[in-house]
Amino acid sequence: MATWQAVAPTHALTAHDGSRLPRAPSLREAGGPTGRFLATYAATVRAQREPRTDFDSGPVSRPADPSALKNGHPTIAAAGDAPVVVVFAGSWLMDRAGSATERSIRAELRGLGATLVAFFGGGVWSFRADDDVESRGTAPEEELARVRALFRVAAAREGTTQLAVFVLDDKGVVQFADARELQDDESAEEALLVALSAAGRAMTYRTPLPVVFSRREIVLTSLLAGFLLTFGLGCEKRPTGPPSTATPPEDIDADGQVEVALHVNGKDHKVRIDPRVSLLDALRERIGLTGTKKGCDHGQCGACTVLIDDRRVYSCLTLAMTVAAARAAVTTIEGLAAGPALHPMQQAFASVDALQCGYCTPGQIMSAVGLLKEGRAKTNDEVREEMSGNLCRCGAYPNIVAAIQRVRGEA
Amino acid sequence: MRPFAYSRPPDEKEALALGSAAEGGQYLAGGTTLVDLMRLDVMRPSRLIDVGGLTLGRVERDGDGVRIGATVKNSDLAHHPLIAERYPVLREALLSGASPQLRNMASTAGNLMQRTRCRYFRDTGSACNKREPGTGCAAIGGYTRTHAVLGGSEHCIATHPSDMCVGLLALDAVVHSRKADGTARSTPFEGFHLVPGETPHLETVLEPGELITHVTLPLSRFARHSHYVKVRDRAAYAFALASAAVALDIRDGVIADARVALGGVATKPWRSHDAERALAGKPASLETYRAAGDAAVLGAVGRGQNNFKIELARRTVVRALRELGVTT
Repeated sequence: MATWQAVAPTHALTAHDGSRLPRAPSLREAGGPTGRFLATYAATVRAQREPRTDFDSGPVSRPADPSALKNGHPTIAAAGDAPVVVVFAGSWLMDRAGSATERSIRAELRGLGATLVAFFGGGVWSFRADDDVESRGTAPEEELARVRALFRVAAAREGTTQLAVFVLDDKGVVQFADARELQDDESAEEALLVALSAAGRAMTYRTPLPVVFSRREIVLTSLLAGFLLTFGLGCEKRPTGPPSTATPPEDIDADGQVEVALHVNGKDHKVRIDPRVSLLDALRERIGLTGTKKGCDHGQCGACTVLIDDRRVYSCLTLAMTVAAARAAVTTIEGLAAGPALHPMQQAFASVDALQCGYCTPGQIMSAVGLLKEGRAKTNDEVREEMSGNLCRCGAYPNIVAAIQRVRGEA
Repeated sequence: MRPFAYSRPPDEKEALALGSAAEGGQYLAGGTTLVDLMRLDVMRPSRLIDVGGLTLGRVERDGDGVRIGATVKNSDLAHHPLIAERYPVLREALLSGASPQLRNMASTAGNLMQRTRCRYFRDTGSACNKREPGTGCAAIGGYTRTHAVLGGSEHCIATHPSDMCVGLLALDAVVHSRKADGTARSTPFEGFHLVPGETPHLETVLEPGELITHVTLPLSRFARHSHYVKVRDRAAYAFALASAAVALDIRDGVIADARVALGGVATKPWRSHDAERALAGKPASLETYRAAGDAAVLGAVGRGQNNFKIELARRTVVRALRELGVTT
């Protein structure tokens, strides 16, 4: 088990434009059970994160700063050396586990690479989108009050309809802040999703983004001035985006989200996306079809291969919007088998052992199915050439060719 | 990826209206380059205008020649009977490019509009006059193995990566486009792409908002007798280190007319008039082809690691001509 590593000590809490807030929130200040909860949680997250090596720029993880451990209390922002989304809500979030909204929230968190720490009523709840570390706990009112005070958030009483969202980047800098009353027909989950989506856009820009913040400038200014940020202060009711529609999108604003229908494996799935969402991410993170794999995300490895109207394509370079607008039919690895019987290509891959680790396999199989539909490759060399858009780092190529030739021979 | 607005106009007129209205707008076809570069934060369009809803997806006879719609997919074009029969160099070039999946996505116009690029262009941490005019060129003096030896300037030596364009260039293709105000124009292929000069961020003659509608191929005596050879680091799915598209009209053992275009070695699809002159009027012989190979690389400038490309390009031209030509 990896040991807990803290990063820098208490960061100054800095707004996205560089202005500094009076003090940074830290677990030391939070103290008590809440602080201990966060510290434990952060340690768990940290322990699970192996240092990554980036091909171009070397190791990504920064070395631990021993001085940070002097008091044994890392900062909130140091949790896992990753962005943290801190949410204060008047009511319990995620009533319906596994709901579409929850999946979308996880997708947004994954996009931000962030950990969510949500304070509500009498409890605290936290998770990272990418793994199963998920904790729920309770904290005494005085502890919650202390945390709220750090973020200049007035107490949200149980059962009220208030929501405040802060996004701290990996350096503890507040990149995004939003606080408002929920509208009558709006759930806290939906409001959180909207806020996270806006936060994602704000985080993408390294400089202030007036458009994104236009309706929240008053709130942010209050925050910068160190005023007590109370729920609803200066927050006019803002629209929750364009009305939902399941018709093909024809004109979507940059900050707009739209509900579109994707026809996947014979079924229509309604997903709420913005124009940036790739077909791959829509399949995996909105619809929950994780059989299609993300390898390079740049059209170089083929792990994301799916069929669109029976033609093999890379779903990572395909915008979901385009597929929805074209009313195209998508087939993924999950859509190949008819009932319990495997598709002949799946069976052949299993029979001739055409894989080792298996990560590229869904893409290989979809590509192979596309190859057979095209009906041009015949010799082993032709099959190899026609499968060149799918890499297999385990080197299972000979058996992949054998599997395809077996199915081709049977057809 | 930065946020952008998305539109899918139903017709050309609306596409042009959007294209001219949106500052920072980009037409989206297959997206194989554009989406990739947007994800790298190299391209930052404020609006994508999806041309997938336009009726520009047909390959049809056009008098004696062929008319290719802007959104025809590379794979459909490669396997179209008219192309396979009359323009073998285009078919061979298309099938040597990218991977089957990308060829199923990539379009004719998108292939013309793909960015001339190198790894420094793709890396937002590097200086690049093409990406950020005036910041310098990290490639010059950097790692240049894949860079251009023809058509470069002191501001940019990135290679145009297309195979299809090299084939089109050897076939005297014409690019048809419509400007934002609706005026149609035709550009001979050789004049469509620009060398970097002092403005490497400008890669084609298209004006902002101008939309490619189709490409035409004329009937020529040499088109049917044409061939593409691509040399690369691995057998498939790699950019050319050097490629040659050649077309010959040989009559009674003498070359009446010839086209020689190079890929993988230049900052744009590169037509070698010197090589063509070395072939025209000469006997179709190995000696002639070698002279054409020498002529094809006249004026080439190596930048260190890419010095080998000069000799490689010369040999690639000779090989393409030998494989195609009669050597009686």
